[in-house]
Amino acid sequence: MNGPDGLPPRLERHRARIERMARERGLDFYETRFVMLDASEVNAVAAYGGFPVRHPSWRFGMEWERLEKGRQWGLSKIYELVVNNDPAWAYLVRSNSEMEQKLVMAHVYGHVDFFKHNLWFEATDRSMVDTMAAHAAEVRRLIDERGHDEVESFLDACLSLDNLVDPWGPSRERLKGSRRASGPAADLEAVLRRGRGEERRAPTCDVLGFLLDHAPLLDWERSLLRIVRAESIYFLPQRLTKVMNEGWASYWHAKILVEGGLSHAEIVDFADCHSGATTAAPGRLNPYKLGIELFRAAEERGLDLFRLRRAHHDVTLIDELVDEDFAARVELFAPSPGPDGKLRSWREKKEELLRALSNGAAPRIELREDDHLRRGELLLVHQHDGRDLDAAPARAVLDNLARLWGRAVHLDTLARGASVRLSARPASARRAG
Amino acid sequence: MSLSRIGQDRARFKDIVRGRLRSDLRRYLTSSELFGRRGDHAVSIPIPQIELPRLRHGDGQGDGRGGEGGGEGEPVEGGEQRPGQGGGEAGDGAGEHILEVDVELEELAELLGRELGLPRIEPRGDRALRAAAGRWSGLAEHGPRSLRHFKRTWRNALERAVASGAYDPDAPLVLPEPRDERFRRKKVVDEPQAAAVVFHVMDVSGSMGREQKEIVRVKAFWIDTWLRSQYEQLEVVYIVHDAVAKVVDQHSFFHLRESGGTKISSAYEVLLEELRSRWRPEDWNIYPFHYSDGDNWSARDTERCIALLRDEILPRCNQFCYGQVKSAYGSGQFKKDLDLALPGEDKLVSVALDGREDVPDAIRAFLGRGR
Repeated sequence: MNGPDGLPPRLERHRARIERMARERGLDFYETRFVMLDASEVNAVAAYGGFPVRHPSWRFGMEWERLEKGRQWGLSKIYELVVNNDPAWAYLVRSNSEMEQKLVMAHVYGHVDFFKHNLWFEATDRSMVDTMAAHAAEVRRLIDERGHDEVESFLDACLSLDNLVDPWGPSRERLKGSRRASGPAADLEAVLRRGRGEERRAPTCDVLGFLLDHAPLLDWERSLLRIVRAESIYFLPQRLTKVMNEGWASYWHAKILVEGGLSHAEIVDFADCHSGATTAAPGRLNPYKLGIELFRAAEERGLDLFRLRRAHHDVTLIDELVDEDFAARVELFAPSPGPDGKLRSWREKKEELLRALSNGAAPRIELREDDHLRRGELLLVHQHDGRDLDAAPARAVLDNLARLWGRAVHLDTLARGASVRLSARPASARRAG
Repeated sequence: MSLSRIGQDRARFKDIVRGRLRSDLRRYLTSSELFGRRGDHAVSIPIPQIELPRLRHGDGQGDGRGGEGGGEGEPVEGGEQRPGQGGGEAGDGAGEHILEVDVELEELAELLGRELGLPRIEPRGDRALRAAAGRWSGLAEHGPRSLRHFKRTWRNALERAVASGAYDPDAPLVLPEPRDERFRRKKVVDEPQAAAVVFHVMDVSGSMGREQKEIVRVKAFWIDTWLRSQYEQLEVVYIVHDAVAKVVDQHSFFHLRESGGTKISSAYEVLLEELRSRWRPEDWNIYPFHYSDGDNWSARDTERCIALLRDEILPRCNQFCYGQVKSAYGSGQFKKDLDLALPGEDKLVSVALDGREDVPDAIRAFLGRGR
């Protein structure tokens, strides 16, 4: 491997030129380090979520296996991978053509600009590469100390709760002036907060944060829970802005390459590659496609693109820009029959899309009471929006929650219109009292 | 970028899938598949997946986000794109024959082992299968007192003291805390020390027909597969014989059809010559397998065979296996003679096969002793 700045001279020249063009057009990004890897290595990094080092987990091995099989059979390949960090890290695949490398670089600069300026990313840990490595060291240490199965099993239990966070929490804390949402400093902050009598209390959507403050956990367990929460919160804004983020990056790679980034010989290949990335099978959501259409529509209407990319997330941007005119041009909103056979108008399809994307595509779960019936039990409520919960995993999740909480937990939801309460108790009363 | 870490993660995942570890996760195991193409055939590539339970919306609603399970740090930017694959899944329409691929040999061997209840081969004496050499060159954060690495422990304490400003050069007192401690750890190096050689010896005289050869082929495959899973290094030598014997390559072994008479001793002589010259028992675990229809040239030759086996070949082998395939022309006399002449010889296994359905039993007989 070349060092972080060790691109071959020819690519380095392209990179410098593309960086200059991006800056001239108003993009503003962190320093970005490109690392060139073989396809198999890129798959490994992708399995780690873009990070060079993650804690040991079978999940990453599973992901690598899947990506590798896709690659070996020629079914899928990863073009680009970029990590929200300062400096940003991005990976280039050695086997890609020069035109593809240029496209990826321009695309990456779009992403990094987005990471830096979008409001919902404001609270993210910008030294996450280091943080992840620290998490990995911590998990390895715990494994050394307590054994692999025990640590991994608890980690998996925490992971099954990792979407019980408040998507807007980090940004809200940020706006209130709280400094960091994760990392060792957050621990200190939690202690201080508790000293000030400000610990997280029900009702809240930040179930993981609540457990960190109140669950009767051992030190090593709390440490794992903190790691899971920090990593989940880090990835959250990416779930909230997938369409925008890809649209923004695609808009800029197209613009930069077409306005001079390409040689004449590369135009046709570029068009082929670009349209391949921004095509959508009928009725399917391709975030690249929808995103770039949104930004182009905004451009036609004379809106300030840079402001849009700062203030919005997927749901608000789609809500703002999708009107009858837009719907008429984008296949995704073309009227089509729903499951009941009735034709759905663009308005209904828009509603449906917004609902699917809301809350980072996860169900909205609120912790309503932390001392339910005065027995120290947790009561969670699913804010039903017309979609039922998947029952089988929900039970398993509650089991895990009860394991962490050490007492019974309940979840109120609706199933086929009737209200239902799911409950779970800890398997053993090892933490009674 | 080193792939070893992720390789460990993958090994752990595979162990979970196979049920060796974390049986609590087995209930979340599902198998999805990719559709690929090999030549003109659509093939299905199984992808085992374990999905941790998470609260999510039920069926028929999740069409907002294309694929990619719910939530776990899927890097948004890691979007896989399928250039020029507008149609996606290459022709996996109904009616097309889909082959499943990608059962790894290692897995196959394991299935075989489990199915037939085969014991893993026991390492014996200095001919151990793998030797775990270890040197006390590693470091760990936990360990017994007696293995504390003084120098590293104090260095850490010193670093900490300097970093925290507690270090006073005039009164250089450094006290290690538990977190400074480092312990010596044995670094285990697996060295494949012993290797194995398999001899497949087959009678190709006129009486061995197609079906008999097919049985031999099936058996040889499974035997190789099993032994390969037990040894880092497995060499296979093929010997064919009718009235004369010779060493041949794999292809000839399975396709040759001579039509001469049968002189089994010729094969044993060639085998012995090989054992003397190339495949010495000091360096190799030796497994000869002999397949014949049991029709030898003469009783005198059979005597010679027995003498060779008893005095020369058996002492050199881990185990000698004789599989007698029933044929329309063979008398099947050789096995009887063998069993009569060498009773209680525990390195010798002889089995009679009437048809393919006997293959599993024969394999169990051959490999079931864990030699």
